[in-house]
Amino acid sequence: MVAPMALAAALAVVACGGGDGGIEGGSEATEVTTAEAEGEATGNLTVSNWPFYVDKKTVPEFQKQTGLSVKYIEDVNDNTEFFGKVQPQLEQGQSGDRDIFVVTDWMAKKMYDLGYLQNFDQEAVQPAVDNLIPSLQSPSFDPERAYSLPWQGGMAGLVVNTQEAPDVTSINDLFDPKYKGKVTMLTEMRDTVPLVMKADGVDPAEATEEDWMAAIEKIREAAQSGQIRRFTGNDYTRDLANGDAVAVIGWSGDAVQLQADDPNIEFRMPDEGCSLWADNMVIPAGAPNPTAAYEWMNYVSQPENAAQISNYNYYIAPFEGTKEVLEQKGSPAAKSDLVFPSEEYTAECSTQTDPPGGPEAVRRVEQAFQSVVTGG
Amino acid sequence: MGPGLLWLVLFFVVPLYFMGRLALESGTLETGFRFTWEWSNFTDGISLYEEQLIRSFLYAGAATAIALLIAYPLAYAIAFRAGRWKNALLFAVVAPFFTTYLIRTIGWQTILSDDSPVVSVMQAVGLLSDGGRLLATPGAVIAGLTYNFLPFMILPLYASLERIDESLIEAAKDLYSSSRAAFWRVTLPLSAPGIVAGTLLTFIPVAGDYINAEFLGSSNQAMVGNAIQSLYLELRDFPTAAALSFTVMAVILALVVVYIRFAGSEALMGEETEEAR
Repeated sequence: MVAPMALAAALAVVACGGGDGGIEGGSEATEVTTAEAEGEATGNLTVSNWPFYVDKKTVPEFQKQTGLSVKYIEDVNDNTEFFGKVQPQLEQGQSGDRDIFVVTDWMAKKMYDLGYLQNFDQEAVQPAVDNLIPSLQSPSFDPERAYSLPWQGGMAGLVVNTQEAPDVTSINDLFDPKYKGKVTMLTEMRDTVPLVMKADGVDPAEATEEDWMAAIEKIREAAQSGQIRRFTGNDYTRDLANGDAVAVIGWSGDAVQLQADDPNIEFRMPDEGCSLWADNMVIPAGAPNPTAAYEWMNYVSQPENAAQISNYNYYIAPFEGTKEVLEQKGSPAAKSDLVFPSEEYTAECSTQTDPPGGPEAVRRVEQAFQSVVTGG
Repeated sequence: MGPGLLWLVLFFVVPLYFMGRLALESGTLETGFRFTWEWSNFTDGISLYEEQLIRSFLYAGAATAIALLIAYPLAYAIAFRAGRWKNALLFAVVAPFFTTYLIRTIGWQTILSDDSPVVSVMQAVGLLSDGGRLLATPGAVIAGLTYNFLPFMILPLYASLERIDESLIEAAKDLYSSSRAAFWRVTLPLSAPGIVAGTLLTFIPVAGDYINAEFLGSSNQAMVGNAIQSLYLELRDFPTAAALSFTVMAVILALVVVYIRFAGSEALMGEETEEAR
């Protein structure tokens, strides 16, 4: 009986996150506070980010320049999964000591609507906001950049092993029996499902709930037949590196990281286009040191520092002046379509979007997708 | 209240109450959850994840059976044949626990991956077809479960075998019993409490496991633990997750009761033991 007790206790600990036992959602009108900057930044800064997102020098150099002590954790593997991890704390007004975390556009909005994020102290973050490239200055989810600042932009598309899967150029090729069991897709529903829809000629911006469900059904069949090996967060990089997968839905910059170990791995723009998104720095409610958070935001927005990060991660550079610095240094990143995508390169791409029809419909679609991911 | 009871109330009854309450709430994260006696959470959970539920118990049964087949000879050898190596062998059984469960499972993911030497060798000798694989198959998940929970089977078996008075076995042989008959009629019945304890300690956690299916399986090997994890952490559907957790607990409890009734009570109550003496 020890084990069911332990199981029950462990689950109940999770369940007890809501304080009085039940878990409360954002039912009460939550007031969004502003994270005020106060004087000089001192002390500690904790940043939660995705893997493969920062080079080895940026953090130490920032520490040296500012005297701040930085804890940089790579604990975001998937938006939904990260939300699941931090939500009980956020509901209590705690951020788990994090001052910044980096989440994708839609998740930033979801967290903000639930009252889990703070507004920026506009004055403190102004230098960084001013330096944003025009296309990122006023996104529809946060037109004023009141609570989100891009870390990097990116594209979801194909990441392939050119040796093993030379002819994969469309998402539809992932359904080719030739690659049975060697394909993975992202658990990030807003990337995977729109890409599958696009391959079937459906524009995600115009898609109905039925279109989403039809795409999910197609993915379900492929998963049940064993065509799709598994659904992954950022950990698909391991499947590619181990040779367990040869063609996957993945993110643009990761492929460049993987090339260090295996030069055969590359990002391919699908024939039908990609899914475009940005990952944003946000300040959670309860962040212990917002002043230091602004220091970090302004630091990474300076062209010199932004260039150093882009030169490593090969995601879309959000700040002005990055290209010039990279050119000056003779970095190949300056010429990369992944870092500075031209209009032609992304012509067919769609901006990441929610399923249509409001929260109830989104929930239905999420439920259907999750049931595929967990083998339903 | 004694400390044992206090412990039980604080860490079992109280959480269980809150989880039970949660299982009957309705709502979403955005609108908040309210207690509404929502019994449909149970039926929803079961109908949505019936497949994973059944699969979990099949895998748990298979892993427990295999673990027993491996563990019994091993525990027997350690108890009766190991001599001065006894402690070293027991240490070897426990040693893997010095590395965390997660790391060991991810280790297996690498060992079994498609391009690994293990797979190449098996393909070369024809144990696997070309293009056949080990990872992301039911076999890999069951093997992972067996491996991870094997010590829970070995240790209770060893404890009960070690306690057997060897003169009883000698006595059986003096009475013209063959070695085989002595094993079946003396050793095995006397070790029955170890078998019951070992199978329970293995079966119960295995049925709720999700790590092995996550790392060694594909979505077609998802177990109920994965479904609960996804309900809690991905879909944020706490009530259905709690209801499904309760369902798993209830099924385990029912199976255990039936098991002890039919297989265990004699062993546990020592009826056979008396006879043998």
